[in-house]
Amino acid sequence: MNAQALDARMPSGDTMRTAFLTLCGVVLAIYILAPFCWLLLTSFMHERDALAVPPHWIPTDPTIANYLSFLNPSGTRAIVGSRALEETMPGMVNSLVAATGTAALNLILGTLAGYSLARFRFRGHGSLLGIYLGSRMLPGIALIVPLYLTIKTLGLLDHLSALVVTYLSFTLPFTIWLLKNYFQTIPRSLEEAAFMDGCSWLQMLTKVLLPAAVPGLIAAGMFAFMTSWNDYLFAVILTSTTASKTLPVVVAGFVTDVTTERTLMATSGVLAVVPPLVLAFLFQRLIVQGLTSGAVKD
Amino acid sequence: MSTLSASFPAADKVRANRVGYDRPVFAYLLNAPALLAIFVLAGYPIVYSAWVSLHKFNLKRPNVFRFIGLDNYSEILKSPEFWSALWITVQFTVMVVALVAILGVLVALLLNQSFPGRGVLRTLILLPWAIPPVVNGLMWQWIYDSKIGALNGLLTTIGAIREYRGWLSEPLSALLALVSADVWNTLPLAVILLLAALQRIPVELYEAARMDGAGRLQTFRYVTFPWIAQVLLVVLILQTLAAIRAFDIIYVLTGGGPGTATTTLTWQTYLTTFDSLDFGRGNAYAYTVSLITFGFALVYFRILYRRGNFEG
Repeated sequence: MNAQALDARMPSGDTMRTAFLTLCGVVLAIYILAPFCWLLLTSFMHERDALAVPPHWIPTDPTIANYLSFLNPSGTRAIVGSRALEETMPGMVNSLVAATGTAALNLILGTLAGYSLARFRFRGHGSLLGIYLGSRMLPGIALIVPLYLTIKTLGLLDHLSALVVTYLSFTLPFTIWLLKNYFQTIPRSLEEAAFMDGCSWLQMLTKVLLPAAVPGLIAAGMFAFMTSWNDYLFAVILTSTTASKTLPVVVAGFVTDVTTERTLMATSGVLAVVPPLVLAFLFQRLIVQGLTSGAVKD
Repeated sequence: MSTLSASFPAADKVRANRVGYDRPVFAYLLNAPALLAIFVLAGYPIVYSAWVSLHKFNLKRPNVFRFIGLDNYSEILKSPEFWSALWITVQFTVMVVALVAILGVLVALLLNQSFPGRGVLRTLILLPWAIPPVVNGLMWQWIYDSKIGALNGLLTTIGAIREYRGWLSEPLSALLALVSADVWNTLPLAVILLLAALQRIPVELYEAARMDGAGRLQTFRYVTFPWIAQVLLVVLILQTLAAIRAFDIIYVLTGGGPGTATTTLTWQTYLTTFDSLDFGRGNAYAYTVSLITFGFALVYFRILYRRGNFEG
């Protein structure tokens, strides 16, 4: 094959290739988007559209009434969705508080432990890592009964703090692992310079090391937040009223609910997706970095 | 990843003394809060549930707490529920793991090519990952709904089926529905990890392969695969553990049914503990599940480390 023939073929081959790849991309986009769009569109429908057979794919007369009715729980739609209306907003707040609290505590405890594992040499270094990772070996369902009894003894049933400490205990190992790895990528000379300048350890930490570790901290905080936000198993066992029920508990309650309108349930489901989705898109690059440094480490 | 100083042990030692890197008491102190949280809320429950699993203890008769050794375990091994749940767990796990691994590699390969819209897709792939499993379950429940579901609507519109079907009320389709819903939710993690691995492959290797006249499959087999093999193993580990432990999605989507068609070991653990209130047997179930996951993890890790050594 001479060079000319090759040149003549290249463009069309390239175009074919791009067309094929783009087609695959479109299929992938539909696969990702279609299920969620169905939920999203339902949340903008009137109930009759949502129940139509065959389905109305696009709302004939889109409305934001579903979203507005959450602002006024005792309003006109209370009859068709009292539970969803009453519980969604408190659930949202509870979820936010529990997840934010978990993330904050994770960063504090995780920084201390992660720093020590990244920088110090001491007896038991390896076993500590083993303990942290090993504590995640049992599935949650194996821990739920004794955990329930512990929380009951502490008098924390139906308190958000019970959720925070529970989530803390099973998000912390990953946080420590991730932060340890991140701290190791930060040159020691930074710390040494700070010490030379007469910084105390705490000053060095807050003024030098942590600012340099912001991407790692954000990634770790995000994962702790997401894990807490997503949890259903522990929340359903440890909470019972709107004082501490989280959004997944409220949403799961809809499964057996026949009195609430489907459009309201869909709206509640969409609301439960918003915070993690915003975080995911906002910190896209950091998530990928964090995941790869946390899970893929040689 | 090693820091620069780690490659110069002597210099490191000098520095270590200067900044006080040999302060074991301080190091333990820094770990104390984390250890406390983990011991109280993970360590204690782990030991306690092992202890309960050796007892006859049913909340319906809360005063009876009698040591019976391994009886709970032998009862479980003799019960048909266990073997049925184990078989369903195996089917569910194998299908989810295989699909996620295959689709994960394919999607990661796609997102590693350049074509219009790639950037958008790389962001979009995070969408399923960000959806809480409970919402995911609810979403798919409505898609599979027998009366007004989107799947029924779609398939009748294009003429693939004549009348609406109850996807979640037939054993096989319920299991497949569960698998596909879980795959949708967990695929992004695999894609993110695999894509990151693909991006680390030096371009020169592909050029060299092309020079040597390697075909597409050969290039994948000899260039791409060795570079992503380790990450693929990590994906397999994470996915297997997650599939064996799947709970939320089962709770919302199928509730273990129809009948026991989607009753996995985790779901059986839940039923025994919170439906029958048999805490002794329930914890024995939990430990059986744990042993199985632990066994898997061990096998995977052995392969992982052997690979690591093998490749130097």
